[in-house]
Amino acid sequence: MIAGKTFRELRWMALAYLLILEGLCVPVLLWWPDIYAELQRSSLGDKLPFDFARKIFEAVRETDPGIAYRNWVAVMLFFRSTNLVGVAAAVLFGTGLFARERENLTFEFLLSRPIARGAILWQKLWPAALCTTVPLFLVNASALYWSHCVEETLPIPELFLATLHAAVFLLFVLTLTTWVSLRLRVQAHVAAAVGALLVLQIGVYLTQRIRVFSLFRLVDFEWYAPVLAGNTPLWQMLDPVRSHGFTTWLLLATSACVLLTWRDLRRAVP
Amino acid sequence: MTAAVLVDGLCVGFGPREVLRRVDLQVGTGELLGLIGPNGAGKSTLLRTLVGLVPRQAGAVQVVGRDPAREPLAVRRTTSYLPGEAGVYLQLSGAQFLDFALGFHRHLDRARQQRLQERFALPLQQKVRSYSAGMKQKLMLLATLVPDVELYLLDEPDRALDASVRFQLRDELLAMQSAGKTIVLSSHHLGEVEALADRLVFLLDGAFVPETRLAAARATLRRRPRVRLRPGHDVPAGATLVHREADDTLVVATDGDPMDWLRGLPAGVVDSAEIGIPRLEDLYQLLLQQGEARS
Repeated sequence: MIAGKTFRELRWMALAYLLILEGLCVPVLLWWPDIYAELQRSSLGDKLPFDFARKIFEAVRETDPGIAYRNWVAVMLFFRSTNLVGVAAAVLFGTGLFARERENLTFEFLLSRPIARGAILWQKLWPAALCTTVPLFLVNASALYWSHCVEETLPIPELFLATLHAAVFLLFVLTLTTWVSLRLRVQAHVAAAVGALLVLQIGVYLTQRIRVFSLFRLVDFEWYAPVLAGNTPLWQMLDPVRSHGFTTWLLLATSACVLLTWRDLRRAVP
Repeated sequence: MTAAVLVDGLCVGFGPREVLRRVDLQVGTGELLGLIGPNGAGKSTLLRTLVGLVPRQAGAVQVVGRDPAREPLAVRRTTSYLPGEAGVYLQLSGAQFLDFALGFHRHLDRARQQRLQERFALPLQQKVRSYSAGMKQKLMLLATLVPDVELYLLDEPDRALDASVRFQLRDELLAMQSAGKTIVLSSHHLGEVEALADRLVFLLDGAFVPETRLAAARATLRRRPRVRLRPGHDVPAGATLVHREADDTLVVATDGDPMDWLRGLPAGVVDSAEIGIPRLEDLYQLLLQQGEARS
C-alpha cells in the first residue's frame, strides 16, 4: 500500500525525468559524426579552464573514432546527464519521502498504522529507487539503438557496468536525501541542505588539489571512460583492496544511509 | 471486567520538559472513557504512548495485554488510533485514502463502514484536496472506526465537526461500546463527553486530578447556585459573582448555605435558579483556576 502510494506520487516526475534524460541523449548521439569532425578542427582544448575539461576534450577527439565515441558517451550520458539530471531527480524523489509526511501532518497517521517502521522505509524506498534508476537503464539501453543509427557501436556489457555504477551513485544520493528528509521536517530545508552539500562537492571537484575528496570523483569521466573502454572489469569496480572499488564504496555509503534512516525512523516521534 | 488499558506510574518527557508525571490509569474492557484537560495537559501524549508512538521514561503500560514499547506492532493490530492533528493525503480521492488506510488492518467491520458512509455522506470519488476540514475529519473517522479491533483511541474525534455529525458520532460510539468495544477519547466538547462517557478523567499539567480533589471541586460547585436575575437587579447581598455566562445566567458563590441564601432573597429578584448540580464546564473551569493558582 505504501509502495503503491509512493509510486503514484512519483510516477509523473519519473516520466518527466525519463524524457529529459532521453532528450539529452538523442541529439548528442545523432550529431556525433558532425561533432567529431568539428572537434578534429577545433583548437578549443588549449583554452579550456580546467585540466579535466582539457582531458575530456582530448579524449573525444581521439584519432580512433570508436574510442572517441565511447569517450563521448562517457562524457555526455554519464558525466553530464547522470550527474546533473539523475542527481537532481534523486534529490527530488528523496526530499518528500518523509518531510512531506511531516508537512502534511500525515506522519503520525502513518506511524500509527499496524506496520513495522522498517517496512514503511522499505515500501517508500524501493519505488523511489526504481523511479530513480530504471529511466537511467532505459535511456542508456536506447543509446545502443541511437549509436547504431550513426554507425557506431557500444559494448553492451561495458555499457551495463557503467550504468550499474551510475545507478548505485544515484541510489546513494537518494538514500542520503531520504535520511535528511527524515531528520529535517521541511522539504525546502531538505532540498537546501542536500543541494548545498552537492554544490560544495562540485566546488571541491573543480579544485584540482582537493579533487580526490569530492564525491563526484567517483562518477567522473576518468572513471567512466575506462569502464566503457573495457579497461575496468567488474571485479575492479567492486574490489576496494586491489583496485579503486568505487562501486563498493558507493554501495557501502548507500547501505549506511539506509541504516541511519532506519535507526532514526525507529526512534522518530510524531 | 478485565483491563483493556493499564497504566502504572507513567512518566513521559521531551528533553527537560515533563509531559506526563506518574500517571495511573485503568480502563476496563467495554468501557468508554472520556479524557478531559486543557491544551498541553498531556492528553495527546498519553494516547500516543498507549499506541507506542512516544517512548516512556518510567512506568508500566499494558494495552490489550501487551506493552506498546516492546510490542508496538501487536498493540497497533488490536487498536485503532485517531491522531489529534491528523492530515490526510490530499492527492488521493476519498475512496483511495480509505482503501489505503483500511488496507493496514486485517479485520474490518463492513456493516459499520456502510452505516458511517451513509451517515457522513462524503463524496468519496472526489480528491481529498477539495474537502472541507469537517469532511477530512469524517474521512479520518471512517478510517479509524471501520477497523474491527478491541480498543479505539480517539484524540478529539469531534474536531471540526458540526453538531449533527457529532450526534451521529456519539450514536456510533455508543453502538460500538454496546458491542463490547473499549473506547478512550479526548474532547473539548465537555457536555457531549459527559453525556457519552462511562467515566471521565481530568488531566492537568501532566497528571490526573485525584478523586479527592475532584470531590472537593464538586462540593464547591454545589455551593454555587446558577441564577437568572430579573432585569435591573444586581447580585443580592450574601453572594459574590463567580462568572456571568453568555445567556446572562450568573454563577455565584454564597457566603453560607446556598439554600438559605436563596430562601432569604426578596420576591421578584430571581427569575430562575439551579442548585446542587455541578456542570462539567464549571468543574473544568474550577480545576483550571485551582491549577493556575497552585502554579
